[in-house]
Amino acid sequence: MKFDVAVIGSGMSGLMASIYLAERGVSTAVVSRGNPICSISSGCIDIAGSGPDTLKAIDSFPGEHPYHKVGKEALLESIEYFQELMSKHGLEYDGDSRKNRSILTPIGKRRVTSLVPFTMKAAETADGDAFHIISFKDIKDFFPSYLTGRFPDAQVSVFDAGTHTTVGIATKMDNDDFLVSFVNWIREQEIARDKIAIPAILGITKTREIHDRLERDTGRTFFEIPTLPPSIPGLRLYRSLRKIAEGKGVSFFSSAEISDFGKERKKILGLTIKKPGRPDYVDAEAFILATGSFVSGGLFSDRNKFSETVFDIPVHSPAGEELFNEDFFKLGHPIEKSGIRVNDRFIPEDSEFENLFAAGSILAHSETMKYGCGHGMAISTGVAAAKHAEEYIR
Amino acid sequence: MIKTDVIIIGGGATGTGVARDLALRGIDHCLIEKKDLAAGATGACHGLLHSGGRYAVEDRESAVECIQENAILRRIGSKCVEQTEGLFVRLPGDTEEYRDLFLEGCHEAGIETELLNSSQALELVPNLNPNTTEAVKVPDASIDPFRLCMLNVESSKNSGGRVFTHHEVVDIVTHKGRCAGVRARDEFTSEIEEIQGKVIVNATGAWGDQIATMAGQEVQMSLSKGSLIIANHRLANMVLNRLRPAANGDIIVPNETVSLAGTTSIRVDNPENLCVEDSEISEIRSEAARMLPDFDGVRLVRSYTGVRPLLKAKDPSGGDRAITRGFRVVDHKNGLFSILGGKLTTYRLMAEKLTDAVMDHFGISVPCTTAELPLEGQEALSGYPISKRLRELEDMMCECELVPSSKVRQVIEEAGTRNISDIQHRTRLGMGPCQGGFCTYRALGLMQETGRMNPEEALDALRSFLQRRYKGTRSLLWGNQLREEQLVEGIYLSLLGMAEHEV
Ligand SMILES: Cc1cc2nc3c(=O)[nH]c(=O)nc-3n(C[C@H](O)[C@H](O)[C@H](O)COP(=O)(O)OP(=O)(O)OC[C@H]3O[C@@H](n4cnc5c(N)ncnc54)[C@H](O)[C@@H]3O)c2cc1C
Ligand SMILES: Cc1cc2nc3c(=O)[nH]c(=O)nc-3n(C[C@H](O)[C@H](O)[C@H](O)COP(=O)(O)OP(=O)(O)OC[C@H]3O[C@@H](n4cnc5c(N)ncnc54)[C@H](O)[C@@H]3O)c2cc1C
Repeated sequence: MKFDVAVIGSGMSGLMASIYLAERGVSTAVVSRGNPICSISSGCIDIAGSGPDTLKAIDSFPGEHPYHKVGKEALLESIEYFQELMSKHGLEYDGDSRKNRSILTPIGKRRVTSLVPFTMKAAETADGDAFHIISFKDIKDFFPSYLTGRFPDAQVSVFDAGTHTTVGIATKMDNDDFLVSFVNWIREQEIARDKIAIPAILGITKTREIHDRLERDTGRTFFEIPTLPPSIPGLRLYRSLRKIAEGKGVSFFSSAEISDFGKERKKILGLTIKKPGRPDYVDAEAFILATGSFVSGGLFSDRNKFSETVFDIPVHSPAGEELFNEDFFKLGHPIEKSGIRVNDRFIPEDSEFENLFAAGSILAHSETMKYGCGHGMAISTGVAAAKHAEEYIR
Repeated sequence: MIKTDVIIIGGGATGTGVARDLALRGIDHCLIEKKDLAAGATGACHGLLHSGGRYAVEDRESAVECIQENAILRRIGSKCVEQTEGLFVRLPGDTEEYRDLFLEGCHEAGIETELLNSSQALELVPNLNPNTTEAVKVPDASIDPFRLCMLNVESSKNSGGRVFTHHEVVDIVTHKGRCAGVRARDEFTSEIEEIQGKVIVNATGAWGDQIATMAGQEVQMSLSKGSLIIANHRLANMVLNRLRPAANGDIIVPNETVSLAGTTSIRVDNPENLCVEDSEISEIRSEAARMLPDFDGVRLVRSYTGVRPLLKAKDPSGGDRAITRGFRVVDHKNGLFSILGGKLTTYRLMAEKLTDAVMDHFGISVPCTTAELPLEGQEALSGYPISKRLRELEDMMCECELVPSSKVRQVIEEAGTRNISDIQHRTRLGMGPCQGGFCTYRALGLMQETGRMNPEEALDALRSFLQRRYKGTRSLLWGNQLREEQLVEGIYLSLLGMAEHEV
């Protein structure tokens, strides 16, 4: 099969790149091996730093950080683009990408992020902002005591959903009869507060409906607390982006093991995807490498030797440093600086190819956790790489 | 102030074994451990219930002790011993002479052997090195040292014995030149507890000389550090040893869902603050892979190290591997008794000999029954076959080791525990491939829901668990283990918000 652009990896960067291209009439394929990190993430979009101002934080990032190649203007534009797409799809993201805010985590700590899905919009902000907690009987990944320790005024009501996992409960919420019984139960509870915190289980597909109905029928404001993976808000984010991409005509090759690729001089010609029987061939004019860091399998470490897993292009690695900090809680292991170095057009610097672009957490010096730039960096570099790929094929 | 007849210092296999023995002989006692049960060499060991084969050539006396104790422990501790059997594998380059010495040694020590040709050996362990020349089958087994200590303590508690964990003996109180008690510091509150006793038993293994010194005595020991690595799969169902003189990395022991390979032997002066060297890991891995090639690609989930408390060599020229694994009971004649050397496999015998000496001292004659009576409390722990656990999958708190929430809840409620390692040792929670990455948050959540801990304690416990866990995996972070680590860091540092931010 022949495409204009083949994107490898279906994470935030790969999906955003493919949507951007497909909207411009570029025929696009996404080839990926497994589910991306965004599908297990909090669903919130981290942009930069942990202070109040994201752009200020970026000023303090080291010169090699990919954000400096994107530029602030383009960063803000790409995030706005993301917000528009999601709104049209019915999963609004709330917030201003220039600012940070904090949301409550399941252990009662605060997590800094920038944009949140509408289900977390009401997340308590200042201390003393009183709320009630609704939990579920024997739920596996949510323990209200972690929260009530910090917020002693919070009362807890526990609903028996008949299942213990977040995915199980969220799936039930998508069912009307179940939702009705849940709403009726809430109305019987004594709840002194206007705000209700709830683990993130407000449905997987009908979240908007469920959320609005709960607020309407109970007269309260709800906010979700994202739980451990499998995390429902992450799942919603991933599914929505995929739906959007499919809607715009992107072809997906999932569970795809890339066993080989064809090249001619400075060009990559196509990918061979292993399949029982005859393999699939995906040919394209340009390729975007968005396969993520070690955790997703885009990079691989064999003790001290690092490799890139699709084209085996050279991986930058921090020289002469210990790769790991001594302290678990200190952010930024030196190893996280490693990755693919790109030029201003997002073409890997040390590779021989002219039609290969790279984006997302595979980029060297992105250090997404240390710099609090996870999805934001993936979105903006994804769009940037897509622009350069489009320019290249025109 | 607490008064008792015998104070036991050290909550390893030896100390808890002494507690059980005293309990069964009706002697009032109290056990003091500075950390947790099995926190010393016992919990850091390979978990091999030796048949004695390893010592059959070089250390006949230990070999005899091992095979006798092996049979006893299989009988009395069926729920903490897995009867895997073991092979001594001869690879190209391992000599026939050693094989003959081995067979002869085993025969004389009373260890049953069966010589297998290459295809018979491969039938038992299909992923064994296909170039295996031959193998000798012996009655090795796999033993869970944490459970063992817990069960020993069970008998002690049932007879009214008291156990103080997280209490470090900082001083021995003497009166007219004789030991009269100890002072122990509570790890959490730093309060000092004074306990009076007629006899003090020093069962602190590698720390033995520190305790003896507190009583104005000295004991001579050699401390030998050994390291182990854990692979995330149960790669073989039998214990595997190399059929050659003991060397680094020549034993692989299956333990529930994982495999342990080791060890090394490095002389140290101090039992504290040891770490695993990169070179040890490489050596153990490559040696293990010679017997079991699958060890090469497998994901290593943890490495750790412990110190063997060995008797001082009479002839120091042979190196630590040549030192006898035998043991000695020392009556310091001032109310202090030390038990030195030995190994996990022979802990019961060591406890018996020591308790005999204490009984002599008291002038009471009650025979030892620890070899006849099954360990108490095994019913509660066991009856937990994999098939049953699989049925409770929806409710799994620990997906790697298949531990359901109901089981954890039961342990928390019945044992009244306030401590995460207690749960781990009773249920194996967090001992599998993700090393507690997911389930520890859950177990601590449950601990709060049941009122055992307040949130501050739970967060402290979570922090120290994560720090310890990281220390155990830090030197193994490549391949898939690195992926797991990035995931766990994403969860705790980012999703739960536990990181310390700079930017
Ligand atoms: C546990 C965790 C939670 C996080 N939570 C958040 C959060 O809440 N908010 C936030 O902003 N950031 C979060 N981050 C950071 C953020 O998720 C990532 O930095 C960002 O989303 C990465 O996106 P990506 O596009 O680079 O690729 P990834 O999401 O890493 O996806 C890579 C894709 O490439 C595929 N792939 C990899 N190798 C191959 C191959 N050889 N062949 C074919 N396909 C391949 C993978 O299967 C996957 O589909 C989190 C990170 C972690 C680890
Ligand atoms: C790497 C390695 C692998 C091994 N593998 C095997 C094997 O497979 N099979 C086998 O049979 N043997 C094995 N051994 C040997 C075996 O582990 C030990 O011989 C045995 O566990 C010793 O038990 P113990 O109770 O005497 O000592 P320990 O388990 O070390 O117990 C001593 C206890 O005393 C406590 N303590 C110290 N100071 C104080 C104080 N001041 N106050 C209170 N408490 C104190 C310590 O915290 C510790 O818990 C191995 C040893 C090592 C190091």
